[in-house]
Amino acid sequence: MEALALDILTTAAILFVVSTGLMIILGVMKLINFAHGAFLTTGGYIAYLVGAAGLNPWLAVPAAAVLGFLAGLVIERTIIRPLYHRPLDAILATWGLGIVIGQVFALTFGRGVQFAPSPILGTIDVFGNEYSGYRLAMLAVAIVLAVALSALLSFTRFGLNARAVIANEPLARGLGIDSANVRSITFGLGAGLACAAGALITPLLSVDPNMGLPWLVNSFMLVMISGVSFPSLLVASLLLGGSQVLVSTYISPILGGMTIVVLAALILRLKPKGFSRA
Amino acid sequence: MNQELLSVQGLTSGYGTAAVLRNISLGVSKGEIVVLLGKNGMGKSTLLKTIMGFVSPFSGTVSLDGDDVTNIRPHMMARSGVAHTPQEHTLFPDLTVEENLRLGVASNRLFHERLPSLETLFPRMLERLKQRAGTLSGGEQKMLLMSRGLIAQPKLMLIDEVSEGLQPAMVDRMGEVLIRARDELGIAVLLVEQNLDFALSVANRFMVLKLGEIVEQGNVDDVASTQTLSNHLAV
Repeated sequence: MEALALDILTTAAILFVVSTGLMIILGVMKLINFAHGAFLTTGGYIAYLVGAAGLNPWLAVPAAAVLGFLAGLVIERTIIRPLYHRPLDAILATWGLGIVIGQVFALTFGRGVQFAPSPILGTIDVFGNEYSGYRLAMLAVAIVLAVALSALLSFTRFGLNARAVIANEPLARGLGIDSANVRSITFGLGAGLACAAGALITPLLSVDPNMGLPWLVNSFMLVMISGVSFPSLLVASLLLGGSQVLVSTYISPILGGMTIVVLAALILRLKPKGFSRA
Repeated sequence: MNQELLSVQGLTSGYGTAAVLRNISLGVSKGEIVVLLGKNGMGKSTLLKTIMGFVSPFSGTVSLDGDDVTNIRPHMMARSGVAHTPQEHTLFPDLTVEENLRLGVASNRLFHERLPSLETLFPRMLERLKQRAGTLSGGEQKMLLMSRGLIAQPKLMLIDEVSEGLQPAMVDRMGEVLIRARDELGIAVLLVEQNLDFALSVANRFMVLKLGEIVEQGNVDDVASTQTLSNHLAV
């Protein structure tokens, strides 16, 4: 039972880590970033390359975060910003971008799977259960990330400006806030978080050009039911991730893979605005 | 009071292809309050939005301190020293009073430096710093609105119907604050109003906007009877 509880907690942590980049972009920019999966994949390949180069596997995470942030700034400036007033086109552009990124990886690395070394090997004894040290580390990462992002939004000038832009962009602009700059940094932040998340989850799995796609679907559903709220995202990750683990364990892993999507659809049917604004 | 801070020349503006303002020219000097009178739908708010950069003019120019700021983006206008207090959706209701005030200044350092200056103007705001703005009373929300504008220490305030919906005592308080801002801080104010008594009690000059054009203007001290002006505001 303890192992099951740890599975639930660590699965929720992984889902939270993977979804934050998508949420922050949706929250501030009102943009569903369908390139999120490709950014996760990018992080995965960075983890693979760092491992292949014989470097410390932990280096992959900051490297992916920085590269993702910089790439996000460029993508926002060149692809997203010209489409601010055409939101549907902007969403389609991110979809297309995701396909292009995936194809570039397919051409570069082939369609086969690659593996990245885990920064933490072996198990740790938790209440008499030997449990993966790296999955436990993901729990700590999720907690740190939740605290850091909450602090960023609550206690920094950027966070205040971002909340003002979320709430009322024209009013924010009238107070001297460069909303285009806020959007640009936000997209960079979201892309950086996604790439870092990709680097973090790859040691648990493997990386291939389509690695990010299932994660994109799950992240999308979690963000849809969470609204723009990190506490809600934590709850949603715990609830839906926990359900996925339970269904996979007691019924079928195949059904478990569908659990998040099905439950999210049901929740949205009952509470169209999701958790945060219920 | 002779140096013109805001200068609007031949401004024609509107939405889409529909002109709301036609050939507007006006000026506001440092340390001067100019009130723009007019009924609803005459283009008063559109004029403030055009000056601020939210609406692009069809023709004409806007200058601030001698610099051409026509078509400048709103955040740059704010950074140039213009505080705009619109009529609607003026606050961030889910943010605290303190956060709303912080948004009025460029940095946390400036916020801490200037916050004490509100003590004598709106002491109640300092008592409500941690309260969500949306939970304030209507009068308190107007106080917060003015406080946010004043903490920016702007050169120019564009204020849209600040007296609307306020009790007489609160209107008087707003008037006192505006006069202090003008006389003690040298802030220029372009005030859009329909409350004639309030407007004339604080302003140096008045202009009447009717169907997008200035049809009457003058010094407040020269107004012998308010009857004509009242007629312009009558529904």
